[in-house]
This record gives sequence, C-alpha cells and structure tokens, in this order.
Amino acid sequence: MSDKNSESVLSNYGIYTISENFEFTFPNIEIKIERIGKHVFSYIRKDAENKIIKKIIPSISSDLTLELCPIRPLNHPAPRTSHVYLDFETPVFLSEGSAATVYVRCPIEIGVFLVHGGYKDSLDWFICDPINSRFCLYGPPESGTLCKYTNSEIVESYEDSIPFYNAVLKIDIKNQLNKGFTISKIVFPITGNSLYYKNSKSIIDSLVATLRKKLTLEVIDIDANPIKTDWAKSPAYEVSESIRHMDMGVD
Amino acid sequence: MVFEFLQSLSEIEITGGLTALSLLTGGIIVGVGIILARTVRLLFSKYYAPKLPQDTAKNFSKLIYFGIIILSFLVFTSTTGVDFSGLLVAGGIFGIVIGFATQSVVSNLISGIFLMIEKPVKQGDKIEIPGSDVTGTLLDISTFSVRVRRFDGTIIRVPNESFFTSNIRSLSSTPVRRSEAIVGIAYKEDIDGATSVIEKQIRKSMEFVLTLPKPEFRIKELADSSINIEILVWHPRDDWDQVGPKLLKVAKNALDDAGIEIPFPQRVIWQAKE
Repeated sequence: MSDKNSESVLSNYGIYTISENFEFTFPNIEIKIERIGKHVFSYIRKDAENKIIKKIIPSISSDLTLELCPIRPLNHPAPRTSHVYLDFETPVFLSEGSAATVYVRCPIEIGVFLVHGGYKDSLDWFICDPINSRFCLYGPPESGTLCKYTNSEIVESYEDSIPFYNAVLKIDIKNQLNKGFTISKIVFPITGNSLYYKNSKSIIDSLVATLRKKLTLEVIDIDANPIKTDWAKSPAYEVSESIRHMDMGVD
Repeated sequence: MVFEFLQSLSEIEITGGLTALSLLTGGIIVGVGIILARTVRLLFSKYYAPKLPQDTAKNFSKLIYFGIIILSFLVFTSTTGVDFSGLLVAGGIFGIVIGFATQSVVSNLISGIFLMIEKPVKQGDKIEIPGSDVTGTLLDISTFSVRVRRFDGTIIRVPNESFFTSNIRSLSSTPVRRSEAIVGIAYKEDIDGATSVIEKQIRKSMEFVLTLPKPEFRIKELADSSINIEILVWHPRDDWDQVGPKLLKVAKNALDDAGIEIPFPQRVIWQAKE
C-alpha cells in the first residue's frame, strides 16, 4: 500500500510504506506520520482523551515502512500478566462424554511495528477500548492468578470479530467427566497463541479444553492449537524499555 | 645468593619455633589464598550468581571468599608447625571478655544468620514493620543489619536483631492487594444509589482495580452526621500507588457528580421554652 498526502481513512491492518505524511484512524485513536527531515519522520498518536504520544523515527531509507496489526491484550494498562480470563456471557453445558466447538470473542490490542531490512521492531501499541481492559483474579488472593478479564460473547464463525476491538477464538471443548458440566469461563496463558489479520478482522490460534478427572479433582486442561489460515500472521510485540540512564560520559 | 638469604631467614627465630622463613612462607600462602578467594568470588559473581536469587548469591559469595581465606590460614598454620594451643587458650579468655562487651553485635550476627536461613522476606520485597516507620523495599540482609529503601527514597538501616524479632508485613508476596477508603453520605441519601455511582466511577476511571473480586461496599458506621460507607477494592500488588491514594478522590467526584451530599459534622440544639 502506498500513501497520499495527508489522507485520512478508517485504516485496515497491514504494512504501509509512507513517503511523506499519512494519517491512520482507528476507533478513539488517531495516528499521524509526518516527514520532518530527509531521513526523519515523526510519529504522533492521540487517543480519545487527547493524550498524545510523540516519537521521532530516523529512517535509513527515504521511506518509512510500518506494520499495524492485532497483538495479544497484555500491555494495557500495564504488563502484569500473561493470562486471559474469558467470562462467557452465556455458559455452555456439555453432557457426559460430549464435545463441542465454540467461537468466542477475545480482546486484542493493536501493535505498531517498524519494518526494516527483514526486521520488525515494536514501535508502539494502543487499545481502542480501554474502559473494558481490566484485570481480575482467578483463585484466592494469596495464591491466585492475575488475569486480563473480558466478558466474552459466543459467536458463529471467524468472521464475527468486531474490527479493532477483538479477535475470534475457536475453542474445542471435550467433556471426559462422567457427568454433565456447565462451562462459564476459560482461563489460559495467551502467550502461546498467535494472532492473524485480514483487512480489519483478526483471529487467534485455537484452544482445546478438556474436562477430565485428575485423582479426585475435576479439572479443565487447556492447550493452544495453531490454526492453518491464509490470513497474515502478526509479529509478537516485545516490550522495548526506555533507557533513562546514560552509561556514556559527557564532556 | 637467594638460597643463602632464605637460610639466614630460617635461622632467625621469632618465637617458639616460628622462624622468619616460615613467617614469609605463611605470608605467601595467605596472600595466594586472598588472590584465589577474590578470583573465585569474581568468577562466581559473573557466571553463577545471576542464576541464583540475589540474597543467596550474596551469601554464597561471602562464604566462598572467607572460606578460602580461612582455609589458606589453616594451611599456613599446619605447614609452619607452630603450636597455637597457647594462643587459643588466651584467645578463648579474650573471646569471653569481648563477647560480654559486644553482646548486641553478636546478637545481630546470630539474628542475621537466622534471617538468612528462615528467609521471611527476600531481597526486592516490599515490606512494612507495623508500629514503626519502616515501610519500603528490602535492599539486602547483611551480617549485622538490614537495609530498607523507604518509599520517600531514603534508606533506613535496621539492626538484624530488631528486624528478626519484629512482626514483618510482606506487601509483595501475594499477586493482589486490597485498598480501603471510607466516605460518608447524608442520612437522606439512598445508600444503594450512592454505592452504584461510586462503583460505576471506579470501573470507568480506575484501570488497575480488579473486575473480580468486585469492589465491595460495607456500611461501616451510622455516625453522628453521616452514613459511613467503606469501599474495598482489589488491585495488582505493585499498583497500590495507582489505587490507594486515588480512591477517595474518585468516590468524592462520583458523589458530587450525582448530587449526593457528603455532610459536614452538625449538631441540632433544642432550646427549652420557659
């Protein structure tokens, strides 16, 4: 894709090559890229509360290549956990020995990556729905697991994600218990699941959830299962720390 | 020439069989021991310490350093053949005298050893000693004292004995913590309405407050001028500063926006008619 000067569109995910100025528009978010020098661009992001993030990006080439794509929902409000708690709006009942496949919505964040020479460096991330990005605790306060919480709706297919807010996750649930069971939540580490995108939609690697008995306990085992798709795979967002101290001396 | 010099040294007797040559040999052995101890400590710090917890690595480092030095001293005494039994007797008596004089030092040393064995808290933990002004991050547990960096940036040193015998509250050993605040509303106001607006505002503006367990509201007191409501919210353990100090402000703003009165203390005086 290439740019037009100061064009403003509701953007899709994808790789953008920017030669002059460009604007991305997402729900509650505006991103403006401006050329400020021969090999220097400025990156400005403004959210709905008018909070502004500004960065200067020196570029080796005359153009700037960025990839905008869905990433795992682990950065807002702060990276504290790798677990996600999906609280089903409508619980699923599985009778003894049965299995079912459900598609649920899973929250996402959006990553901005600088693409150069085969590398993709994490430049920025943002979230279009910050009010619904909250933590919760699974288990007792002294030994539980901190999770990102979401109230998750069951949908029909991979096409039912809400653009820029969530991705669709397929869960294969098997009940190996000797009784029927109602599943109202799934807690899993999302770091094993990759995300994929196409235009403004996104999907995520599926899960296999097996209800079984271990000794006297009834447990649910969750495993990530990579999916085969022709959608583009998102790079993993790695937190790049800001360096606040200088080891080099100054004259 | 050198041989003659060494022979002349071996003929100089300093005390009870201890010659200048054996003293020189001993000095070389101890010197090599110190160099070896430093080298081993350096290698340990570089290659193995990063894989261990900080306090364990520090203690092992000290153990290795002083262990090698003591070992080299023992080698020195055994090679010289000097009888140190008299010195040991004298040292024992001297030790008792010193022990009485330095009770608190020894007490701190022993407490430090027990702290290292029991490990009630570890380096980097946020701790509080109730009843004192010690609240902050534990920097290290050393031989005689514990250093704590308070939240105002200053560093406070607590003797090991005092630390060991105190109640220690760990602020970072659980994944979440709870913060509380009390806010009063007028008697004429609807309690459920007030808690509802506070809950909505907390959900909207406090991003570190947990959705589950939900914020909890308790009627703390039917006080003289107000109904006091206690607000209890959970948050990740490291984000107290994003929740605790802001909770009252959020509650007040929510009540103000909803037009719910926060009363000030008032007294009705009835005057009897004559």
